[in-house]
Amino acid sequence: MGRSNQTPKGGLYRPEIVRAVLSGHSVLGIAFAAVIYLVCLTGALSVFQQDFTLWEQPGLPRVERISDAAVVHAVAQLAPRVGEETLYVSFPDADMPRLRLTMDNGHEEHNWIADAQGRIVGEVDTPWTEFLTTLHIQLHLPRGWGGFIVGLTGVALLSSLISGILSHPRVLRDAFHLRLGGSRRLQEADWHNRLGVWPLPFHVLVSLTGALLGLSTIIVGALAMLLYRGDTQRVYALLLPPKPPVDARAAPLPDLGAMLATARAKAPLGDPHMMIITHAGRRDASVSLTQERPGLLATQDSFAFTANGRILQEKHPGGLTLGEQILGALGTLHFGWFGGVAVRIAYGLLGIALSAVTASGIHVWLARRRDKGRPAPQWERIWASILWGQPAILALTAALGVAAPAMIERMATGLWLGLTMASVIAAAVVTRVTDARIRALLRRMTGALLVVTALLHVARHGAHGDGIAMDAILATLGLCLTWSWRGKRMNDTAREASASVEPFASSAKG
Amino acid sequence: MIAPDWIAAPLLLAAGSAGGWLLRTSWRDRQNDRPALVIAGWALLVADAAGAALALGVMPGIAAALALAPLGLLAVVMQGAIRREARQPRDRANLAPEPLEGTSRPWRGWVKGLLAGPLGMTAAMGIAFCYAVWMPGAVQTRLLIAALLVPALWGLAMTWTLADQRLLRSTAVLAGTSLLGFGLAFLKGMS
Repeated sequence: MGRSNQTPKGGLYRPEIVRAVLSGHSVLGIAFAAVIYLVCLTGALSVFQQDFTLWEQPGLPRVERISDAAVVHAVAQLAPRVGEETLYVSFPDADMPRLRLTMDNGHEEHNWIADAQGRIVGEVDTPWTEFLTTLHIQLHLPRGWGGFIVGLTGVALLSSLISGILSHPRVLRDAFHLRLGGSRRLQEADWHNRLGVWPLPFHVLVSLTGALLGLSTIIVGALAMLLYRGDTQRVYALLLPPKPPVDARAAPLPDLGAMLATARAKAPLGDPHMMIITHAGRRDASVSLTQERPGLLATQDSFAFTANGRILQEKHPGGLTLGEQILGALGTLHFGWFGGVAVRIAYGLLGIALSAVTASGIHVWLARRRDKGRPAPQWERIWASILWGQPAILALTAALGVAAPAMIERMATGLWLGLTMASVIAAAVVTRVTDARIRALLRRMTGALLVVTALLHVARHGAHGDGIAMDAILATLGLCLTWSWRGKRMNDTAREASASVEPFASSAKG
Repeated sequence: MIAPDWIAAPLLLAAGSAGGWLLRTSWRDRQNDRPALVIAGWALLVADAAGAALALGVMPGIAAALALAPLGLLAVVMQGAIRREARQPRDRANLAPEPLEGTSRPWRGWVKGLLAGPLGMTAAMGIAFCYAVWMPGAVQTRLLIAALLVPALWGLAMTWTLADQRLLRSTAVLAGTSLLGFGLAFLKGMS
């Protein structure tokens, strides 16, 4: 039986609906393109947060397994400094073979590393990784505003995915078409659709979880305003373990060893994942301990202890509500921190694919304007400066993070913002350079900076096991970006030539 | 946790590629329907996720399959890419749908922005909070599902309001939904 090649005409894919949805898709994409691109690009890199942490500070002791006594010893060394602060103990695992202790007073954090015997061996000093992840999570704005903008970006991305599918009547029939090298608009549209369609479940997953993580503050705030006269703690109390009544009198550090032993006895299948000690040294101290089990996404065994070791709350996989499971899995699912290196690489590649979907969407819009005789060379240059300017600026901050970490700790945000603004303004006002040349220049610059970063890292830290693999990856990627894609350069040149005659051809016609 | 790493990952990638190859073979044949290939292709992709769920645990397995299988599918797409000579940019462009280009006025754009943004968010929250308050089940589950509903419904509202040319209709629906949702949630309160 022959198959019709006609575009479906009924239902949601009626031409007027498709055109209206495509119009909304286009407006939304153009309005949010830059911030979506930035969040996706930094998100794709943030997937490797643990790897970058190990790379940025190699040489610290690797801890595969840790004894309870060592954990108790590590905490005891910090106990005099804890006071009113909360102490987080992150147990080592395959992805992060380090025992980390974080002290948080609500305004600032201090992080330490301990060895297998529990001796504090140094402070965590990974300014570039922190710069990168903070850029992804809150754009270096105050947490509330930054999180909201990132959450809104996630919603815009989610909406773009929905409208993208609704505005593509041939979504399945064209699902394997990739036509390269012909008209630029067709090529970019093919990239846009192919990279958008097949990983669609992944794109929806990360945009939905990302939007929720970003919007959580405003959702909790709105719910508290509606139901609890603005008391957000009452909303959080529905989700968090109970706390003992306030009693600020001094008391010795809780017996953490006994708590670890209790948890291990009650849940022998789990491995300790995180211990949170609040108000250490007070009678109302509480200790929360979570454990991970194989084959489950969220931390599933959790215990809440009082200062004297009484169990306030105890949860195990069979007793977890769906909501608790979702809560425990949100971050893990969003960042791909559940399946080892292979899943992280897949997440990273698909994150880059989502960035490319955003970029190609703007290219389609710009090419369509050229096709219609209304080219926007200034916007073409500005977009080129964002598209490859951001990777170049991130690579520069990484190189500086290796060469002068103290400087990056103080100045990374200002440097990123200044260079971003400078590159966009320069692209807007310098009319003699085409967007293709800006892309080529910044791409090569990114490549060169990645190679420099790897070389600086080897020079500073030597060929250390925790860093050398990342150095090799950065150098290889850098070399590829710097010297490859000759064909692409030729295509760009050919398109540049055709683009330069196209407005005249169109205006001559019209 | 069990890491798919270098044992399961190649299998998940390969299953994605194989499923994709079957689907491509079927859809490339414009003259004949080949339902067996289509069914086999989709079945392989479903089996990919099911196998991963069995081997790695339900949620980690499905999530790993959702991340790895698309890479296998994209490999099939790239393997079948057609290379052409660079040419003038009008070829086949007419086949793609064009967005509406009416005589839209700036104020309509601002109103649409307000509808898609703040009012869409309020309407989404109204429905979500209503769900959290009125639906049965554990309070944590109701809260988390409601929280997931906020971005999902807001995204849908954004899609609809940006596509709908009738501003009054969008305004009425979103404002009515917000009032009704918040009102009903406030009436019952969290239990």
